[in-house]
Amino acid sequence: MTGPEGRAAHEEQAVHRRLMRFGEAESLATPMWEERDTTVRAVAGHLSSLWDSPAPAEDADGPVFTEKGLPHARASVLNLIVTVVDGAAADRVVQTLLGLGVRHPSRAVVLVPEQGGAADEPLDARISTHCHDATGGGDRICYEEVVLTVRGEAASHLNGIVAPLLIHDLPTHVWWPGDPPFNDAVFDQLLEMGDRLIVDTADFGDLLTGLRRLANLRRHSGVGDLTWERLAWWQELTAQFFDAPRFRRYLPNLSRLRIQYAVPTAPGALVRVAQEDVTPGVAAPMAQALLYAGWIATRLGWKRYRTLEALGESGFRLRLEGRHEMVDLQVEPIATDAVRPGELLSVRVRSLGETGAAEFIIDRDGEDAMVATNADGMTALLRRVSMQAPGESELLSAQLTVDRADRVYEDALRAAAILLASAREAAA
Amino acid sequence: MTVPTVDAPAATGRPPATQGEHQPRPNPLREGLRLERMAEPCTMVICGATGDLTERKLAPALYNTLLGGFLPPEFTVVGFARRDMGDEAFRGHLLDGINKHSRNRPAKPAIWESFARGIEYHRGDFDDPAAWVELAKRLERIDRDRGTAGNRLFYLAVPPSLYPEIVSQLDRAGLSASGTHRRTGPKRGWTRVIVEKPFGYDLESARTLNRVIADVFDEDQVYRIDHYLGKETVQNLAVFRFGNGLFEPIWNRRYIDSVQITVAETVGVEGRGDFYDSTGALRDIVQNHALQLLAMFAIEPPVEFAAEDLRDEKLKVLRGVKPMTPADVAANVIRAQYVSGWVEGERISSYRDAPEVAPDSQTETLVALKLGIDSWRWAGVPFYIRTGKTLPSRVTEIAVFFKKAPLALFTRAGVPQIDDNILAIRVQPDEGILLRFGAKVPGQGLQIRNVNMDFRYGSSFAVDSPDAYETLILDAMIGDASLFTRDDEVERAWEILQPILDAWGSGTGGPLHFYAAGTWGPPAADELLERDGRAWRRP
Repeated sequence: MTGPEGRAAHEEQAVHRRLMRFGEAESLATPMWEERDTTVRAVAGHLSSLWDSPAPAEDADGPVFTEKGLPHARASVLNLIVTVVDGAAADRVVQTLLGLGVRHPSRAVVLVPEQGGAADEPLDARISTHCHDATGGGDRICYEEVVLTVRGEAASHLNGIVAPLLIHDLPTHVWWPGDPPFNDAVFDQLLEMGDRLIVDTADFGDLLTGLRRLANLRRHSGVGDLTWERLAWWQELTAQFFDAPRFRRYLPNLSRLRIQYAVPTAPGALVRVAQEDVTPGVAAPMAQALLYAGWIATRLGWKRYRTLEALGESGFRLRLEGRHEMVDLQVEPIATDAVRPGELLSVRVRSLGETGAAEFIIDRDGEDAMVATNADGMTALLRRVSMQAPGESELLSAQLTVDRADRVYEDALRAAAILLASAREAAA
Repeated sequence: MTVPTVDAPAATGRPPATQGEHQPRPNPLREGLRLERMAEPCTMVICGATGDLTERKLAPALYNTLLGGFLPPEFTVVGFARRDMGDEAFRGHLLDGINKHSRNRPAKPAIWESFARGIEYHRGDFDDPAAWVELAKRLERIDRDRGTAGNRLFYLAVPPSLYPEIVSQLDRAGLSASGTHRRTGPKRGWTRVIVEKPFGYDLESARTLNRVIADVFDEDQVYRIDHYLGKETVQNLAVFRFGNGLFEPIWNRRYIDSVQITVAETVGVEGRGDFYDSTGALRDIVQNHALQLLAMFAIEPPVEFAAEDLRDEKLKVLRGVKPMTPADVAANVIRAQYVSGWVEGERISSYRDAPEVAPDSQTETLVALKLGIDSWRWAGVPFYIRTGKTLPSRVTEIAVFFKKAPLALFTRAGVPQIDDNILAIRVQPDEGILLRFGAKVPGQGLQIRNVNMDFRYGSSFAVDSPDAYETLILDAMIGDASLFTRDDEVERAWEILQPILDAWGSGTGGPLHFYAAGTWGPPAADELLERDGRAWRRP
């Protein structure tokens, strides 16, 4: 194969092979099916034919048979619709999806709308399937991915193109990488088709507007956010401080929360990411820190009080009203290229009041973190824990297992918007 | 504009089983987190810490639980054994186990070093009261220094013959008390004890063992491990039945013809000859694993999916299994022993030639038996159980045979009688569920062929399932006894099997058959089903 599509196919196979080295076992990718100027019906026909015959002959071990000599059955758990702005973004998405197939047998439809172009040849399609040996016991996880380039007027009616290509009756997730065009007609159409929308708030061009719009979206199964997923381990470590009853009594008296997050030392500086990961754009590195602050604030019932330092180059400081104490919230960017922009670097929680002083610390240090509790006048429980930043595939994968609205996230999201709005006000 | 506040959030996760323990306000930050089950700070004391179980199972389970973030920061391990070694050597022993046997390996140095600071070794003889007094002092010091709040989990990783000694020493050293203990009264924190199988050797020894433990501990402090119950599929059995509307209505004698439970191993007695020759397949597998599978399969819907409700229902099933008369034993129980043969391409020598096995051993390595459950749901449905060593494949499954269609519509069209529909629940390997039904072969004419609809957990959820020990140790720390067996269940299982042991002992229980390694057992095992017009499924 030659030409850009051929190259893309070749690269895809190469990525796939590389990924498999990380996996447990060999995988099998069927040859790619490609057709220019095709129709939705032809694409749907090819998709249904994929599973009529056993695995193709390239598989050295032959097709997998069950005890009665039948080809292996197929399991699917979801549909995923992804919309990207251009071919380059599609390539990035395809690579993320490759890492995903190991965990979620699914059908992914990647849409690349191209405004303009000839109306009589609206559709190019590329279909590939990937199977992974899941357990070594002959189980295979298969997923297939359809990349559709849609031109002309059809690009404004994506829902009609996607609908026939979904597997019936399975949950459908809409993943919108980058900055979602809220209130755009196509965006709304696709949102209607899905049960759940997945975004990455760190990709939002206008963070405040984006957070507010997202908070007001009403989806049946809620909204997923890769940046929220990045916080999962930080939340777990934070909650662990207060699992022990003797430290839980400090919770109502928290008086200070300082969050540090990474920003690049120079615009465009190289970012170190996991080998299989593709660097996602980070338009809003503050998103993660804001969501973390919003999470703590809503869980502990903190209210906005006044702005101490308005948002500037060194972050912002707010005074919040806690249940018993006033709380000093500080969000501070730290220039570093050691971690991906936006990742949290340090969280320090301090408590004052009748129960005595205590400080709870999480400091990231490369792929580990130091976690410490200083309370009752002694350093108790200093320990190191693993702190590996998950790749985009892992984040997406974790979000795809969620099938209902996450009230804790929705609360944190609304609070994050309020905190950011407050930070933008002049100090009182 | 204000930040939305939340009302006092409800705790997620299950509350500890022990009632009356001091319950502080739940941690509001836990709400909605993915890790909903968080163990309280506690110290785990491993009695018999230098043994095989600690190295192969416990150390990897603890490490993986730690990596998953399930262990509280205060968590402390004290290894207690006779061997002379220091803290460092003991940590090395655990680290070896992790690096050899853990599903995540090798251990990450920084994480391990941090965890290892909370690992200590306590040298002493189990029969030396002073060693236990020292242990009590050590645990108090750990409570003070590491904030383990008086919560203690004793893991008896020792042969059952040592249980009475350890249990009474725990009592004497004042270590058996728990928050709600009926005798010792309130104490800060809880005390729980994990007991490994075998739970006794026969009915009498099981009763004695239970009594010894009950003299010191309340039943809700005792966690008897049957690692089969920690497996995902066994837990999924309940979800399959009670989480779906489709299957429960046909889960009874009206639609089910018979049930086969198979626990097949390919290995021989390899290195366990001494233990196995005095145990046999009935005690080793049927008493615990097979009867627990039977009970989980056959239970009535519990009132709640909680430990006591589940165990009440399991006990009800076991009480429905009527103990056999000697004549029943001769007719319904087949025992056999393997002789040399080939399994998986390797030659296996006869059981009697294995090291530490008596040359005239009468121990069974295979049991096939037929049981019934006298209940409204199951009356008249035979349950066939078979378990054996050196069988052709390693598989554990429950196969449900459904009754045939009432009218043989297609025999007139020249189609022979259609096979039974089968639902097979596979516990290991390849955990999953398979449904076999007849379908028309496409084309002119009428031809019917069996097709399998095969669902595998592995192909729908490709995640690393936690090892059974990880699940179970964590459950014990949280105080959830759902997946542990209760004293009355253990005794009832022995009551069912005691007549078989007695009949075999007195020579009235039918002969010992022989089968070649690598076969599915002696012809007598097949005849057990053939006389009912049935056949074993080839799993």
